[in-house]
Amino acid sequence: MSDYSRKFEALLPDVEKPARYSGGEWNTPDMNKRVRADMCFCFPDLYEIGMSNLGVQILYDIINCREDFRAERCFAPAPDLAELLKKNDIPLLSIETRKPLKDFAVVGFSIGFELLYTNVLYMLDLARIPFRACDRGEDMPILIAGGPCSVNPEPFAPFFDAVVCGEGEEVDLEILRTVADGKERGLSKAQILENLSRIEGTYVPSLKRTGYVVRKAVVKDFENAPYISRPLVPNIESVHDRATLELYRGCASGCRFCQAGFWYRPIRERSAKKCASLAKNMLESTGFDELSLCSLSTSDYTGLEQLENELSPYCRERGITMALPSLRISSFKPDMARDSRRSSLTFAPEAGSQRLRNVINKNVSEEEIDKIAVAFEAGYDSVKLYFMMGLPTETDEDIAGIADICRRLKSLYWEKRHKKGLNISVSCAVFIPKPCTPFQWEAQISLDEMKRRQAYLRGLLKGIKGVNFSWHGAETSVLEAALARGDRRLADVIEEAYKTGARFDSWSEHFKWDVWQAAFESRGLKAEQFTRARDLDEELPWDFIDPGVDKEYFKKERALAYKGVTTRNCREGCNGCGALKEGRCTIL
Amino acid sequence: MIALKYVKSGNMRFVSHIDLLRHASRILRRAGIPVRFSNGFNPHPLIFFSPPLGLGVASEAEYIAIDAPMAAAEALERFNLSAPAGLKATRAFDLKSNPNLQARIVAADYVYPYAYRDIDFSRFEITYLKKGEVVSEDAAAKILGATSEGGKLCLRLATGGVNLRPDRLLGALNGIYGEDAKVTDILKVRQFALEEGKLVLVDEILK
Repeated sequence: MSDYSRKFEALLPDVEKPARYSGGEWNTPDMNKRVRADMCFCFPDLYEIGMSNLGVQILYDIINCREDFRAERCFAPAPDLAELLKKNDIPLLSIETRKPLKDFAVVGFSIGFELLYTNVLYMLDLARIPFRACDRGEDMPILIAGGPCSVNPEPFAPFFDAVVCGEGEEVDLEILRTVADGKERGLSKAQILENLSRIEGTYVPSLKRTGYVVRKAVVKDFENAPYISRPLVPNIESVHDRATLELYRGCASGCRFCQAGFWYRPIRERSAKKCASLAKNMLESTGFDELSLCSLSTSDYTGLEQLENELSPYCRERGITMALPSLRISSFKPDMARDSRRSSLTFAPEAGSQRLRNVINKNVSEEEIDKIAVAFEAGYDSVKLYFMMGLPTETDEDIAGIADICRRLKSLYWEKRHKKGLNISVSCAVFIPKPCTPFQWEAQISLDEMKRRQAYLRGLLKGIKGVNFSWHGAETSVLEAALARGDRRLADVIEEAYKTGARFDSWSEHFKWDVWQAAFESRGLKAEQFTRARDLDEELPWDFIDPGVDKEYFKKERALAYKGVTTRNCREGCNGCGALKEGRCTIL
Repeated sequence: MIALKYVKSGNMRFVSHIDLLRHASRILRRAGIPVRFSNGFNPHPLIFFSPPLGLGVASEAEYIAIDAPMAAAEALERFNLSAPAGLKATRAFDLKSNPNLQARIVAADYVYPYAYRDIDFSRFEITYLKKGEVVSEDAAAKILGATSEGGKLCLRLATGGVNLRPDRLLGALNGIYGEDAKVTDILKVRQFALEEGKLVLVDEILK
């Protein structure tokens, strides 16, 4: 424990949910071993969000399983603690040993969402670490970033010494080895960064030149890749408070708006046998009473039936609930209702009309939606539906289709059941064109248009009894789109926004659109410059990152979208996206 | 039915009662203690606690009753192997039925970090913050006794239906002593139930 420990602990009685910061979770690894290098994993959101992040848990476990390295954690403190830290002159500390962040060899941020960018600066500020890599001397740790936002790291690149693009399981260890080696040999930071740039999947922004290409890091042997052996059990309820097992990586569906679906290719499955043993091990070491089988599209997992057969009796005997998120409607089976004790179903048709679903290649047909009737028969009284608004080529007719689906479900419900009535909750996000998708060139609809379409849909749904409508903030969607497809100029904007009060931007009570608008203006920019349509031959800020999938493939998919032609699921045959060069698709 | 007496200290002081319920069922699962479940649509494990301990307060005398077909001594051993640092069972009791401690406990002793001194508690005005507002009350009726425990001030406070949170006395006591004690400096040392008009130690009831 550091010198700050006692002083820090004295603050805890005065903050909300002090167990966020106290540490001591079950399965905390040995923190006393002598190591060559240590790393603090930072998650730029609150404890209960960060503790549910699978990536952080996997990487934390992998590093701590090594004799010569140690990983600790730090989450964004809520504003009440931040204020007390500043008042009492205590820098931001790690949870486990309460060590100042700036005393670690490596500080790594997991960034999964564009609206967390200001929180990175919020944490650096509290840690007393200068924001810009160029302003940090030899005494400062190596700062790295990773996570899904590494698809386009340019907006935050100046804040980091290195960015891990792609999957961190192997790269993070290689980075620790390189840093430890550099320190032991007395190398300068510049020399260490030079060495880091040679690790596949590692982008060193200060070394970027014309022709610089970063290949995404991919775990080749997913079957035997390490998985969380002893998951930390959160002190307070986290948003996904359960054991989570990743069945496979990648996705065979090819939905054209979905970044994860392309970024995590090639598809790599873990065998059902391996999954079952990992699941049992996690449940036994944590005592969780819920297991979530997780992937981008669980119905596509080849071993699903075998895995269910193996785990169902095990879970039933022990009173453990098994959850299968991301299921396709067509693979819903009535016995799932009996096993799961749930009464609510969640499905994501994403668009209201068949035409638009073809455009986005979300291969859900009207007949499939009708299959929800099976769930009504099995006793479900509540359905949650996810849609997007502002998709390419969308018209009011497509939006009206959302209301049609709700009416259709209601009549199906009354055919099957005559009980309390069906509850439908419709959640509608705004389409964000994201890098590494066939829609990376698309425009986002304007703020006014978002509001008009939201009002239109709200009006249509108002007339249907039992329908609950919720939507995403229009302004946050503009910001998310701008940050997702921005370039390095946005680092200045992010810094200005933070300095003028932006943080926790994903929390509606903290989001300050006027601060962001002023921050863009202060650099002579506008958010709309980054949400406009891009030319197909325009150079894109993330072009230097090779995601495996070819740019030409994205163009081809985009052309098919405009023709309303779908692309088959990868399981029916290879579509030649290019990701194969990064390793075998295990479903082929 | 078994009951365990346990210590809650260190980091676990910061885990609220509601989160503690979650921790308990996970500890029992990891420990392989076969807890019985309630019947019904949403079966829940049959575990029962003594009244909630305030956030930040440490205790040497918390209780959990568990409906499980296992000898209490074995359950204690298993519990301690599966509990995070800061939770430790110290005594085990084999029982015939649920002792219903939540309803029966009426008082608890708290040791404060002040040297014992004779204080007149017959009138004792306290002020504290409640939902952002300053509240004053005369707490005398809820302070059931004051003694010296190892030279420190030990107060017996009403718990349960009539309840006095130990941290709410801190403002007044800090004023008297000229100190700045915090909730984390308070230690609960024993709990009492009411039996035939007399306060009886919970340990005696469970024996």
